[in-house]
Amino acid sequence: MEPPVATENPYLLFDVPGGRLAFGDGDLDIWAEHLAWCYRMMGIPDGATIAVQDFGSSPISFLGSSLLMPGLQRGVAERIDGRFICLDASAERVTLTPALLAQLAVDALIIREDVLVLLSAELHKKGLAELAQRTMKTIVVFGDEPPALNPVRLPPSRHLMHIENALLLAPQCVKCECFHLREGFYEVDGRMIRNLRMAAPTYDLPRGELFSPSHCAAGIRDWCIGWSPRGQGI
Amino acid sequence: MRDTTSSCARNDAIETLSGAQLTAWQTDRLREVANHAYLEVPFYRELWDRAGVEPGLLRSLEDFARFPTISKHDLVQAGRFWTNPHQGSVAFSTRGTSGAPLLVWLSAEEEEAYIQPTMRGFRWAGFRSGMTALLMSPVWHRLAACEAHAIARLGGRCAFFWGSMGSEYTDSFLHTLSSARPEFITTTAPFLLSLVRGGAGATIRPHDLFKGVRSVVVVGLPLTPRMREFLRDRLEVEDVFERGGTQEGAAIDECRFHSAPHVHEDVCYLEVIDDAGIHVAPGVRGRLIVTKLTTAGSTFVRYDTEDIAAFAPGECPCGSGFRRLRIYGRPESSVLVGDRLITAYDVRMCIEEDPALVGRNVLLIREANAQAGVLTVAVEGEAHDSANLQARLREQLGVASADIVWLGDLRVNWGFRQVLDGQEIRLPRN
Repeated sequence: MEPPVATENPYLLFDVPGGRLAFGDGDLDIWAEHLAWCYRMMGIPDGATIAVQDFGSSPISFLGSSLLMPGLQRGVAERIDGRFICLDASAERVTLTPALLAQLAVDALIIREDVLVLLSAELHKKGLAELAQRTMKTIVVFGDEPPALNPVRLPPSRHLMHIENALLLAPQCVKCECFHLREGFYEVDGRMIRNLRMAAPTYDLPRGELFSPSHCAAGIRDWCIGWSPRGQGI
Repeated sequence: MRDTTSSCARNDAIETLSGAQLTAWQTDRLREVANHAYLEVPFYRELWDRAGVEPGLLRSLEDFARFPTISKHDLVQAGRFWTNPHQGSVAFSTRGTSGAPLLVWLSAEEEEAYIQPTMRGFRWAGFRSGMTALLMSPVWHRLAACEAHAIARLGGRCAFFWGSMGSEYTDSFLHTLSSARPEFITTTAPFLLSLVRGGAGATIRPHDLFKGVRSVVVVGLPLTPRMREFLRDRLEVEDVFERGGTQEGAAIDECRFHSAPHVHEDVCYLEVIDDAGIHVAPGVRGRLIVTKLTTAGSTFVRYDTEDIAAFAPGECPCGSGFRRLRIYGRPESSVLVGDRLITAYDVRMCIEEDPALVGRNVLLIREANAQAGVLTVAVEGEAHDSANLQARLREQLGVASADIVWLGDLRVNWGFRQVLDGQEIRLPRN
C-alpha cells in the first residue's frame, strides 16, 4: 500500500472540528467506498434506506450520494443500491425528523451523538419512540469515545466512531461489538492510528483497548478498538 | 462523471428564445410532464380523471390552467400513490412551516437539469472561473445540493464551514471565511444578519473578514432594497444577490439590476393565481403555483406553495426574456389585520424608510386585536420616532391602527419565522 500523498489542487475544502479536509480528483470515492464498508460491517444490507442526521460538511452526509458532491462518482446510495435521506443536524431540522420517519420506512438512522437527546425527546413527545426502535437501526456517531448509557435517549443499535480531521471511521462490528480499523485502510503503531489511503493527521487514541489482528473473524486482519461495556452504552 | 453535453446545449439555447417560442417550448414540456404523471403517478391519474382533464389534449398554457392545483396536504395524504418510479434515490425535507414536512426526492437526471440554472444564476451574480465559493450545506436544500456541482463546472473551488445555518454557527462560518478567503458566498439572509449583529461589538468586525468577497448570494428571506444596501455596506462586499426556490421545483435568481429575481423558465413553470384560481396580472399579488418541467424526481404539477408572490411588470434592463418574480412571504410570515394580509416584507419596507431602523430585526405579532384592524409590530432596539412610524404603517399598509413594541435589549434570533403569536413572547409594553 502506498503512503498517503497530500492532495494536489484540491477543489473541495471542508472545515471540520480540529482541522480541514481537502479533496481532489478521486479522493471522495476512496472515502465513500470505506463508508459503505462501515455500513455493511454494522449490518446495513444492500438496498437499504439510510437517513443521516448530520451537518452537510460531515463526510457521513456529503458522501451519501454522488448527487451531493462534484467529483464523487459513486456515493453510499449508489454503492449499496439504496436510498439516502438528507437530514441536517440543526435543532430546527431535528424536530422535523419524527414526522418524516412516520412518512417513510427507514432501515437505518445515522445520527450525531450530540443531537440524539433532542431527537429522542421529539420521538417520545409524538409517541413514535417505540415504533422507531422497532423498525429501524439507530446508529450513533461519536468522536473520541462512545457516549455513556442514557435512559432518556433512544437506545442505539450500533455506534460509529468518527474522527473527522484524522479521516478515521471505525464501525462497531455486529460480531465482536468492537470497532474495526480496516486492514489496508489504517495502520496502527502503539496507540497511533494513521489513514493509509488519504492524507490526514495521525490520531492518538486517548482511551479504549486496542486488539491486534486475529481478534474477530468479521475482519481477521483488522485491528479493533474495544471499550469496557460498563456505563458506555455498548 | 455524468454526461452534461445535451442538457448544456438545451439550456444555453433557451435563454435566446422569443416569448412565443418560450411559451411553445414550455407547453410541450408541460404536456410531456403531465403525460408522464398521468401514466406513472397514480395520485395524478385519479385526480385528473375526477377533474375531467386529459394531459394528451394539453395544447396551450390556458389548457394547463384548467388542471387542478394540489397542496402539500394532498401529497402527504397520497403517500405512496404520489411515488414517481423515476423519482431518484436522494430525499430532502421541506421545512414544515405549514404543518407536516414533506420528503422530496431528487434524481441524477433532475439534478442535471437544475445545475444549469444554478450556473446561470451564479454567473449573473459574478462568479468566474478560478474563484473560491463558500457554500451552504449540500444537505440543507435540494437546490443547495446543486451548488457545488455548479461551482465545479464553472471552474471554481468549493469551501464548506462546519455546522449548520443557525446563529450558533456564525463563528464557525467566520473561521472558514478567514481561512478559505472566498470571493463568492452563498448563505441564508437570516444567517448573514445574525452574523452582522453578532459582530457589532467584536474586536474583529465581519467586514474585515469579508475583504476580497465580491458577491454574496442569499436565500430564505426576501431582501428589501434597504436591507440589501445595509448588508452590502456593513460587509463591504461588492454586491448582494437574492436567490430563491422551493423544494418543489421553483428556481429564481437575480441579475445585476436587482429588479426582481428571474424565473429559470427552463426548469419550472410558475403561475400566480388569485383565490378564484385565475391568473393575476404582473404586479398583482397572488399564490405561487409550481410545476417542474422534468419528469424525474418527485412530480409536482400545479403545486400550490401558498407563497405570496407577484410577477414584476415590464422588461428587465438585462435583456433576459425570463419573467421576474418577487416572493413576498407565506401565510406563516404574514398576519391578517382586518381583511388585509400584511407580510413581514411589507412591514420591513415601511420601517426601513427611516435609515436609523434598517438592519433591526422586525417581528409581526399575531394578536386578537388584529381583527379590529390593529397591526402589532415588535422592533429590535430602543424606541425611535414612534409617532411617524405608526403613521407610515397606517397609511402605507392601510390598517386602522399600528401598535409598535420596542424590544430594547431583548434579542430575538433572526430566523425564517417572522411572525409570533402574542403568547409566545413576553413583550415589553411601551
